[in-house]
Amino acid sequence: MIAFLAKRLGITIVLLFTLSAIIFFLESIAPGDPVKAYLGANASRVDVLAERHRLGLDEPTIVQFGRFLAGLAHGDLGVSFRTHRAVTADFAVYLPATIELVVFAFVFAILLAGGFAFSAALRLPGSSVYRGILLVGSTAPPFLLAIFGIVLFYQQLDWLPASGRGPDDAGPTGFLVIDTLAHADLPGLASTFQHLLLPGLVLAIAPAIGIGRILRSSLESTLSADYVRTARSKGLSGGRVLVSHVLRNSIGPAISMSGLQLGFMFAGVVVVEQVFSWPGIGNYLANSIPVSDFPAIAAVTLVLGAIYIATNAVVDLLQAAADPRLVT
Amino acid sequence: MTLITSPVPRWRAVSTGFVAGRRLTVVLVSLPMLMTLLALFGRILAPHDPVQPVGGLNLPPGSDGFPLGTDAIGRDLLSRTLYGVQASWFSALLVVGVGLLIGGLIGVIAGVTGGWVDAVLMRVTDLFLALPGVLVSIAIVAALGAGLGNTLIGVSIVWWPYYARILRGEAKSIAARPHVEAARLAGISRPRLILRHVLPGVVPTAVVTASLDVGNVVLLLAGLSFLGLGQSAPAPELGSDTARALSQLLSEWWVPVVPGLAVLIVSLVANLGGDGIRTLVTNRR
Amino acid sequence: MTRTTRPASPVTASPATASVRGLTVSLTRGGVTSEVLRGVDLEIAPAEIVGLVGESGSGKSVLALTLLGLLPESSAPRLSGSATVAGVDMIGGSAAELRRVRTTELGAIFQDPMTSLNPTMRIGAQITESTHSAAESVRLLSLVGIHDAAERMRAYPHELSGGLRQRVMAAIAVSGTPSLIIADEPTTALDVTVQAQVLDLLRELRDRMGCSVLIITHDLGVAGQVADRIAVMYAGRIVELGTADEVLRRPANPYTVGLLGARLSLGMHRGGLLTTLAPETASVEERLRGCAYHSRCQLATTDCATETPSLDPLESGPDGHLSACWRSPAKVGSLAASLPARAGVELPDLTSLVPIPAVKGPAVEVVDLTCVFRGKRARGRATAIHAVQGISLRVEHGEALSIVGESGSGKSTLLRVIAGLTPATSGTVAVGPDRPQMVFQDAGSSLTPWLTVGEILRERLLPLRIPRAEASRRVESILESMGLSASIAVVRPAELSGGQRQRVVLARATIIPPSVLLCDEPTSALDASLAASVLNLIRDLRERLGMTVLFVTHDLAVARLMGDRIAVMNRGRLVELGDADSIITRPQDPYTAALIAAVPELITDRRADS
Repeated sequence: MIAFLAKRLGITIVLLFTLSAIIFFLESIAPGDPVKAYLGANASRVDVLAERHRLGLDEPTIVQFGRFLAGLAHGDLGVSFRTHRAVTADFAVYLPATIELVVFAFVFAILLAGGFAFSAALRLPGSSVYRGILLVGSTAPPFLLAIFGIVLFYQQLDWLPASGRGPDDAGPTGFLVIDTLAHADLPGLASTFQHLLLPGLVLAIAPAIGIGRILRSSLESTLSADYVRTARSKGLSGGRVLVSHVLRNSIGPAISMSGLQLGFMFAGVVVVEQVFSWPGIGNYLANSIPVSDFPAIAAVTLVLGAIYIATNAVVDLLQAAADPRLVT
Repeated sequence: MTLITSPVPRWRAVSTGFVAGRRLTVVLVSLPMLMTLLALFGRILAPHDPVQPVGGLNLPPGSDGFPLGTDAIGRDLLSRTLYGVQASWFSALLVVGVGLLIGGLIGVIAGVTGGWVDAVLMRVTDLFLALPGVLVSIAIVAALGAGLGNTLIGVSIVWWPYYARILRGEAKSIAARPHVEAARLAGISRPRLILRHVLPGVVPTAVVTASLDVGNVVLLLAGLSFLGLGQSAPAPELGSDTARALSQLLSEWWVPVVPGLAVLIVSLVANLGGDGIRTLVTNRR
Repeated sequence: MTRTTRPASPVTASPATASVRGLTVSLTRGGVTSEVLRGVDLEIAPAEIVGLVGESGSGKSVLALTLLGLLPESSAPRLSGSATVAGVDMIGGSAAELRRVRTTELGAIFQDPMTSLNPTMRIGAQITESTHSAAESVRLLSLVGIHDAAERMRAYPHELSGGLRQRVMAAIAVSGTPSLIIADEPTTALDVTVQAQVLDLLRELRDRMGCSVLIITHDLGVAGQVADRIAVMYAGRIVELGTADEVLRRPANPYTVGLLGARLSLGMHRGGLLTTLAPETASVEERLRGCAYHSRCQLATTDCATETPSLDPLESGPDGHLSACWRSPAKVGSLAASLPARAGVELPDLTSLVPIPAVKGPAVEVVDLTCVFRGKRARGRATAIHAVQGISLRVEHGEALSIVGESGSGKSTLLRVIAGLTPATSGTVAVGPDRPQMVFQDAGSSLTPWLTVGEILRERLLPLRIPRAEASRRVESILESMGLSASIAVVRPAELSGGQRQRVVLARATIIPPSVLLCDEPTSALDASLAASVLNLIRDLRERLGMTVLFVTHDLAVARLMGDRIAVMNRGRLVELGDADSIITRPQDPYTAALIAAVPELITDRRADS
């Protein structure tokens, strides 16, 4: 188990290094000169050269890359062209909102996926309507789902809000679910959930299908496995067979699919946050793209990418815990 | 002299239940073909120039001469959508085609060769797969600068590893099957072995994987376009047309909804067609 | 024809543990609905072991699943008739009732213990699910002969050997002291020596616990070893039923006679043809109109094709011996008596094949061969598996050598190294002068599925650079030599039966006759009769072509028939090598002796030396 953990940690480090290298490379070919961004477009040639030297941009690439990595290690992600602030400072404001939304949507996705897979594998009557709606939903672009959601639940029914997070961010964590609870602000908590519901659902549908399909097919193949027949021949009840024999042996592929889908969610969140004016890192990215604010774009990619890589490492460990054959 | 003649009759065949499914499959498979025709002739079918204002502002669908209405500066939404569908469909096919080509080549070479070639190619592939592809492609396109060509490059770079992984697995499992060993013992040359005894076995998986993937790429490209990473301003593109008209949603809903619905239809056709092709291929085996 | 109309009665008078009456089952698989059981009557008495014997597709496993109430819903089963266990109706009973019967009255052992145990659950937990007490689980594990039962409780299935896994299955089966254990091919996936232990275990469990056992097998020998009564199934019906002794000594149904004849034993004559059943020639509809066996039966009359015989007691014979046949037991008896002399199938005409030129010297020479695989890393250390260790062998031109061993003995690896498919770690292999050809265990998977038979065969002729027309002629002629129709050339392998595929593989191997033919368990996946016909063909080919044959098998009876000499392998080493008959009659190595002792033999078999 220790060897397995060490190996998984090594892989994670290599991945983070590669991601940094890719971002560094892209930064070097990206349009937009950070020096000009600092000094303004009218800076003199001498000033530009001096600034380049000061920033180390005239040094060999490998040295620059070393400095880039060292900066990353100290939490230095550069300065945004757009906000003229350190990107890390911007992140402190926007990241919690995004993580809250993604975690909420992820839980949503797992629930929808479970319903999708179990209703199909156990052939629950009438469940095909539910699956059909989910399937069509998953083929729609997320911005269209968001639009439908806003028109239906905000404009027509006036059940749910269409933008923002609800209560103001009063600290300390930036996660409103936690903060409102900390302040015993129950109306605030309710409002937080109301605001999470629509963007969360929109974000959850595509991953729900991705995970649900995998879970369904592994449930179906496990249900016809010999050892399930053995379990039934022992006279175990249907529920007991499902929980202790079917579920554990079918969950593996679904877990790894969940990890993959999380990556798609971090990308999808950019579009969803923009439509719902969600004050998160995705919205920050969406606003950085039109003005080619590459330091900001790179930093978002790096941070969300790192979160994704870290989650997948955890996913691998979960899988190993579910299946003893993977470790030995 | 006893001859065991042609195939044994299937033991106790009472009925076959295949007919109903077959017709549906044919319909499903014909959908992407129709979409290709629509994309090919979209420019001819378009009643107006998609870039020039040709009518009143924000006309609702069903207006005289503008079946899908017009946008905020009076451009015909039907014409813009037809042009947008063409770009969306062919771009998605191109990305999938490039992914299949590069990924297939790398995957099959790795799977058939094995040894260190396999190890090196697959390490690289796994590295790409373990990175958040869509985010990286956003960064690539942002670094290269917006534009359709750059978007296609950016997406293709992160898209092939998926194919390499799947097709390598398939090629490896086929190469390890006894029939390949038997062919080797029968003295068949290596190129012929790969072309005749391995590759045809990879094709069904490749076709099914690719056809089920077109819908994903349609959605991804639409998303990038929505974020402003597609063609530049006046060009008709479904994602960016929706994004730019978002502020009109609560007043003139059709302006953002029409291009968005078009994406849904393209993606739905791709997915249904993919399902049909999968059924077709698995039943033929 | 007069027949007594006594009802079929079990041997003992007490109420039956399980009773099946007029059971008909239809299943739908892949869109095809077929009647898998067609009116089965069977009673299992308390503490009785019944052996249910039939070839693949006879419906024997479906009967087992019906008794367990576990027919897969996905195959949309339609049932009529009755099947009761301990008085409970397993067809019409409620789900809760069936579950109670499975908990308290039934135990099940399935074919492959690896797939039948949950891979992610410890052994102990799997047994305790039915015993509800860890102490009881340990006791049962000891009961089925597992040492250190308390420690084994924490093991996962993949950490145990095949034999141990099947013992665990047996422990699960006997928990709650069931009145009936259903064992579906419990020994098929196991090695010979382990097979015998598992059969002994079943008998022992019956003796100790007084439960009944229904053992399902394709091998009359296995049934004969443990069963009190034997039921023979053919095409969804029981065609003969009686005490094991009666059925094996005085078979009353031509199909049983055929099965007995096709069975290979250690004591049979090595020369001459092996007996096989005649191939099926009737269509499905024709078969179902009368006796399903009629087109293959040597005693069939016109009645047989139109009227289905019922399973009735013999006119003259002991109580409880039943057969479904229109012909008299005396006729069937005379057929049985004439068996060794007659063969069901005439051999194909091989005269068109040109023998390979005779060469002096060894055809295969293996010197000090070792083959090591790097195993999976276990607990941080890479393990090395010595598949073959220091083997030296010399096979002369025209000689046939059988290589025998259990799974993991390295016999197949040795053959693959000789074929050049697996590299040797050290030592040398000389084969020649030409490239050897090989026949694989699973003929189906050794034929490229998307190529036609003709394309596969023509590829072998490519190096000859002969015109296409001539190549096609040669393909046709080799197919005919193998007893196949030339029209099969345009067909893909999936459309062929198992026996036909193995013939196509042989055709590919011999279309240009090789000097060395390597056979890797070519018949182990085939039913006995088909296996015998393929063995006949290989022997005949060898004789006509003068080929050297290396024949790998786990079955000593097959090894003795196919080899002039036998090499016995165990754990990668050659433990004994010698003349086929003397190895069987006077084994020098204790391992060989154990192998021979473990072979399931019929009471009627005689040893070669007697």
